[in-house]
Amino acid sequence: MGRDGTSAAVRIEGLWKRFGEQVAVAGIDLEIPSGRFIGLVGPNGAGKTTTLSMVTGLLRPDSGRVEIAGHDVWRDPAAVKSRIGVLPEGLRLFERLSGRELLTYTGQLRGLPGEQVDRRATQLLDVLGLAGAQHKLVVDYSTGMRKKIGLAAALLHNPEVLFLDEPFEGVDPVSAQSIRKVLQQYTASGATVVFSSHVMELVESLCSWVAVLAGGRIRAQGTLEEVRGEAATLQDAFLELVGAQGQAAGENLDWLGGGVR
Amino acid sequence: MSTTANASATKASGASLTPVFIRLKLSLLRNGLRQSSKRKAVWITSIVFTALYAALQLLGLIVLRGHPHVAALTVLLAVVLAVGWAFVPLFFPSGDETMDPTRLAMLPLRPGPLTVSLLAASLVGIGPAFTLVLAVGSVIATAHGGAAFAVGVPAVALTLLTCVALARAVATANVRLLSSRKGRDLALLSGLVIAVGIQVANYGLQKLSNAGGMARLEPFAKVLRWVPPGSAMDAVRSTGQGSYGLAAAQLALSAAVLALLLWWWQRGLTKVLTSPDSSTLAAAEPERKRVSTGLARLLPQGRTGAVMLRSLRYVLRDPKTRMTWTSQLVIGALVPFLNVARHNGNSYWAFMAVAMVGGQMYNLFGTDGSAFWLVMQTINGPRDAYLELRGRALAFALPAVPYLVLLVTALTAFTGHWDTLPEVLGLGLALLGAMFATGAVTSALLPYAVPQGNAFKNVGPGQTSIAWLGLLGGLLAASAQCVPLVLLTVWLHTSGHHGWLPLLLPLGFGYGLLAAWTGLRIAAPRLARRLPEVLAAVAKA
Repeated sequence: MGRDGTSAAVRIEGLWKRFGEQVAVAGIDLEIPSGRFIGLVGPNGAGKTTTLSMVTGLLRPDSGRVEIAGHDVWRDPAAVKSRIGVLPEGLRLFERLSGRELLTYTGQLRGLPGEQVDRRATQLLDVLGLAGAQHKLVVDYSTGMRKKIGLAAALLHNPEVLFLDEPFEGVDPVSAQSIRKVLQQYTASGATVVFSSHVMELVESLCSWVAVLAGGRIRAQGTLEEVRGEAATLQDAFLELVGAQGQAAGENLDWLGGGVR
Repeated sequence: MSTTANASATKASGASLTPVFIRLKLSLLRNGLRQSSKRKAVWITSIVFTALYAALQLLGLIVLRGHPHVAALTVLLAVVLAVGWAFVPLFFPSGDETMDPTRLAMLPLRPGPLTVSLLAASLVGIGPAFTLVLAVGSVIATAHGGAAFAVGVPAVALTLLTCVALARAVATANVRLLSSRKGRDLALLSGLVIAVGIQVANYGLQKLSNAGGMARLEPFAKVLRWVPPGSAMDAVRSTGQGSYGLAAAQLALSAAVLALLLWWWQRGLTKVLTSPDSSTLAAAEPERKRVSTGLARLLPQGRTGAVMLRSLRYVLRDPKTRMTWTSQLVIGALVPFLNVARHNGNSYWAFMAVAMVGGQMYNLFGTDGSAFWLVMQTINGPRDAYLELRGRALAFALPAVPYLVLLVTALTAFTGHWDTLPEVLGLGLALLGAMFATGAVTSALLPYAVPQGNAFKNVGPGQTSIAWLGLLGGLLAASAQCVPLVLLTVWLHTSGHHGWLPLLLPLGFGYGLLAAWTGLRIAAPRLARRLPEVLAAVAKA
């Protein structure tokens, strides 16, 4: 199982989560194939972060099952945690450590041997363009640098499945490119990347398999071509799926641009 | 409101700008009422308390009218007010949104008119009203004769303007620091500074209320009556005594310093509005190589060492953790010593320090905040949870145990009862161990968030009862665990077996170790089961 490219990397059954009155995730069933670049797309508030948090064991679901590489996330956390890497959105890192210290710390918590951590950390810092800032405290990093050091920490133990929540949000084009390169190399080796985003162009250019989430439910899933269907772009297909098309708000702004100011 | 402000400001010339800024300030004040009901209550309470406090001060100053040394008091008061104004923006950088000139950088405004309008807007608010009341009270206390009251008017105006301009100028000159991470770290120290300030003020007030206390102010006043805005206040007294020349000189000095402040502020504004902001500069800053402390090599390998090193680094680098440690260690030592000195007490007061230091164990994951997700991703079961808890406990013990040994030894030396050293130290170590044990359990069962950016909040929203439950329950449980040892001590004392008392030191040490180990063992499986709940609790801030 795992990297053979045939079985499911992640299997989700009947996943529910309520926060008080509000239903954040309303019964998700999803089977994510392994060895691919997977996009989890949806508008803000669709339940992407809640879903990813439950899938990675950070948030306990109200009901439902999640299996990663054949292991149940909530019954066999030990088998799952060593196989996944996570870059959550909106959660802090230990920011009073320097970039390198953070990697060393994470590696030691994961039980990796010291010199292996050192070697991997050096390479990751190099590839992600953080070598020059490795001794700076993470609290002084920019958004792009934070995402990159978070990615490095998530990759350090060479996981089978990598979950990234909005990895490109607020990231400059140069950092985004270095993140892309690392991820493409990683999936080329047979690993699975699941990432959430609401930028359709990005998903279209990176992913081969897409799940569309809106209102806490899966609206469509399948290969990029299947989800896109007849539509010209993923963006069009997406707007149609979440029912947000034809909301043009043009005529009230007729004064905008040109003419008398 | 902000849109109106923007729209008006775009067309602004000097004259139209002032009302815009005053309206903006009034809106910000009014918006204090538009928050959640809890914050609204806090906001209204703070206003009522400030008003009451100001009224009491005013009353006090009126009562003191005619006191031979009251002029010295008013001069000191004016200078203390000004110093307070200078520090407030450093400690509460986000307190007044109009204080931050970088917010105005995108608007087409000239520094000259901007200075005038911002100064006018600064006069609106609770702080300026409080200052105004005290300044008016000072004039009532010291003015004798019509001329003196007349001089009081410019004196009050100069005092108020100097205070406000000083705050603005200091904030503007330090805006780069204040909007940077170091500035925010600095602001977190304000709790400590204010706590110490209250102690000093308390001590000073006690001295003053003694008979003839106010006469002690005279030597200070002799200097301060030439330091604005103290000089403006003293001009009222000078006029009352007929020294018109002196009064004129004092007023002129105050006015000159005010002009200088305004000039400094305007220069700062120009610089701030035309240079890159702190985040850009910080990103471009060349990095300094961090030298390893060598501590890493001394600590054990694997998870234990990693956890200890991270915890100890946070004691040194995280401003909030550092402040907690410093204040606990200082207060934990100060209180026993003061009590021993005052009441001729014994070294058992050291238990106070044990409780203070051990109390920090009661919410081990709170300071991690949402970063706890990184830890929980690596905890695969009770074994990892045990190692995590043990690493954190060891990181606590590393400074706490030597501190306790030193403190008890010093207290014993102070009291001279060397025979009590083994039992006090033994019982202290046992209590510390028991607190480590209960702390590990409450950390797993009753975790709560510790807000990072706020010096005065140590508990996340809606978690106060959890925090108290954990602390009180934990303290009771830890004390209960020590009962056998305490009974043994009492028995040894009452039955005359004094020769056996030194045995309490190794016994207490062993007992503490055993208690801590048992507590960690009990807490570990519970922590491993409750990881998502712990994360949800500590990430709440």
